[in-house]
Amino acid sequence: MNPVNYLYLAALLFTIGASGVVIRRNAIVLFMCVELMLNASNLALVTFSRLHGNLDGQILAFFTMVVAAAEVVVGLAIIVSIFRTRHSASVDDSNLMKL
Amino acid sequence: MIATHALAAAGGNSPSIPAPHIEYGQLSPMLVVFGAALVGILAEAFLPRRLRAATQLGISLAGLVGGFVAVVVLAAQGHASTRAGLLAMGSVAIDGPALFLQGVILLTAVLAVLTYAEGRLEPRINGHRIDAFAAQAAAVPGGEQEREATREGLRTTEIYPLTLFAVGGMLLFPASNDLLTMFVALEVLSLPLYLMCAIARRRRLLSQEAAVKYFLLGAFASAFFLFGTALLYGYAGSLRLGEIADVVSGVAPVTPALAVTTQNDALLLIGLAMVSVGLLFKVGAVPFHSWTPDVYQGAPTPVTGFMAAATKTAAFGALLRLFYVAFPGIRWDWRPVMWGVAILTMVVGSILAVTQQDVKRLLAYSSIAHAGFILTGLIATDRRGVAAVLFYLLAYSFVTLGAFAVVTLVRDSKGEATHLSSWAGLGRRSPLLAAVFALFLLAFAGIPLTSGFTGKFAVFQAAAGGGAAPLVIVGVLSSAIAAFFYIRVIVLMFFSDPQPSGPAVAVPSALTATTIAFGVLVTLGLGLLPQYFLDLATKASIFIR
Amino acid sequence: MNAYAPILVLGAIAAAFAVGSVVMASLTGPKRYNRAKLEAYECGIEPTPQPVGGGRFPIKYYLTAMLFIVFDIEIVFLYPWAVSFDALGIFGLVEMLLFIATVFVAYAYVWRRGGLEWD
Repeated sequence: MNPVNYLYLAALLFTIGASGVVIRRNAIVLFMCVELMLNASNLALVTFSRLHGNLDGQILAFFTMVVAAAEVVVGLAIIVSIFRTRHSASVDDSNLMKL
Repeated sequence: MIATHALAAAGGNSPSIPAPHIEYGQLSPMLVVFGAALVGILAEAFLPRRLRAATQLGISLAGLVGGFVAVVVLAAQGHASTRAGLLAMGSVAIDGPALFLQGVILLTAVLAVLTYAEGRLEPRINGHRIDAFAAQAAAVPGGEQEREATREGLRTTEIYPLTLFAVGGMLLFPASNDLLTMFVALEVLSLPLYLMCAIARRRRLLSQEAAVKYFLLGAFASAFFLFGTALLYGYAGSLRLGEIADVVSGVAPVTPALAVTTQNDALLLIGLAMVSVGLLFKVGAVPFHSWTPDVYQGAPTPVTGFMAAATKTAAFGALLRLFYVAFPGIRWDWRPVMWGVAILTMVVGSILAVTQQDVKRLLAYSSIAHAGFILTGLIATDRRGVAAVLFYLLAYSFVTLGAFAVVTLVRDSKGEATHLSSWAGLGRRSPLLAAVFALFLLAFAGIPLTSGFTGKFAVFQAAAGGGAAPLVIVGVLSSAIAAFFYIRVIVLMFFSDPQPSGPAVAVPSALTATTIAFGVLVTLGLGLLPQYFLDLATKASIFIR
Repeated sequence: MNAYAPILVLGAIAAAFAVGSVVMASLTGPKRYNRAKLEAYECGIEPTPQPVGGGRFPIKYYLTAMLFIVFDIEIVFLYPWAVSFDALGIFGLVEMLLFIATVFVAYAYVWRRGGLEWD
């Protein structure tokens, strides 16, 4: 299979994730969309790694996985703490600061 | 057949891989800070509660000062100039700009950590001194658990190791010479900051909300950075900034894969645009600025000061290295876009600052406008531009830190009184503090004899020399708009009557006083005798490739 | 095809072991039933139709899950090292020990702060 197809898939997944972040209002769903974007980047990295025949892209994909896990932990800790305070995970509810 | 072959290769007889060469000595500023952070975590785990705050402060200061000493020693040995080089197999660059910015970040962090430890501002609870951070970050605001934690005088001393981790990431960020290191540094500096925003003692809802906003938008921006990295890697077949530059300018030997991918300029341009989005988000440039006012307002004020000063320094360092090392070959493509971003940032930041009624939000919009001024220096694309940006970051860091330290002192019964109306007549109640804040505001406005003037003059001069004269005109005009507002605040402080139930000015301990005094000193010093530091910045302005 | 023979043999042995253990257990083990044993297994938490608290996950479950993920993912760096362990030599060993030591610092913090206690 032509590796370029994986790039199209990666771009598609990234776009789905990005539009999800813009459209959806639930913090957890937003967060899942960001994870989708990171995974799309991973797919692109691995594909390019194959195309160029060097391993840099695959190594970066490893690092992305670890970073994504750390981000999940930090992000969910923040979202859970605000959820326990407000009993809601909607980002529209959190606008005490808008003038 | 292939399967057995792979198994055999993994099973033993593989040739030995040469061990990578790591220059621990030249990486020592980062290693010292990360080491101190780990010691801090261990102290957090094993020390009894009453010893933690003092120990953590000691560990942090030791780590940060140690890191700064290492930077000075490296610079004295010539690693900023003649012996600058690529380390750790080419993934970290220690050169003039890297060491200069590392020094600025470490000094800023030392002063910021002093404001963290301030225990005289909040009233004592049951004899316990408390600070600006939540008694127990995991407790629900207003709940029974929180009341109990407050009664016992608990403090979130994790703020110190978190800061050290963030500082470590910030030191690596302007020194990273490949996109992988840059991405990891970006995350290492961001993740602790998201948490640090969430643990204010007062106004916890606002603080948690700031953290959620910062986190979601920050994660969104770093996803853009990563996808951009993937596209640039696809274009150039390498993550190293220098090798990308070679491919961009057509110097690199063409492999069959490169012959295909370099046909596709979309990979290069979209990739660069997406990586820039990630970095411009961190510096708070328009249109990626929307998080700045909310986060600056919601985060605990000492953290805001640290974040405003050090994050901006680190992110501009990375931005400079990216554009000057990897993409000087296509500067005619990115310069027009950065022109637009710089103009928008200066104008939007200055105009929106005029409408603000909250001191912290005002300083946030001012920081956006300053990001615009610094971008004009970046657009100069020559050595003078780099020197001007380095000098500006040095000047701006200390003014910002000092200004936010002053904000922590103006308080009423509900904590910090940040609404501008309560700052009316402050000059009558506390002339000294009001005079200091006025000095910082004048420096923000860029009035002569302050560091802000020298910085602005340097970036505008560099931009004009680099052929960006219209940008300078916009810059001067938006400085004028901003100056109007800073001066309005000064007038409010000195020439209006204090409210009867207005805030009181708390008397700080030597810790916050040191931070503010240092801010004043640097602001006046860089305004009156800038030459030494301008020379230093000029000497440090060459990027190694 | 020869190359895949060891894999097929390995698969067959694994399958035989799995089936064999289940059969052996049902033949030889004691048979005592209680309520908890008959409930559907859902990785350590109460089964879903849970009236109290609106059926949400208990917070301690979240904590354990997060800690598991963050420690688990560090393994990612051990795989490439393990595969080329002999080729990397003493340098790789020392660096990996340093890496594991930093992970253990985090572990010590979690342990001392009670992150591993269920109740």
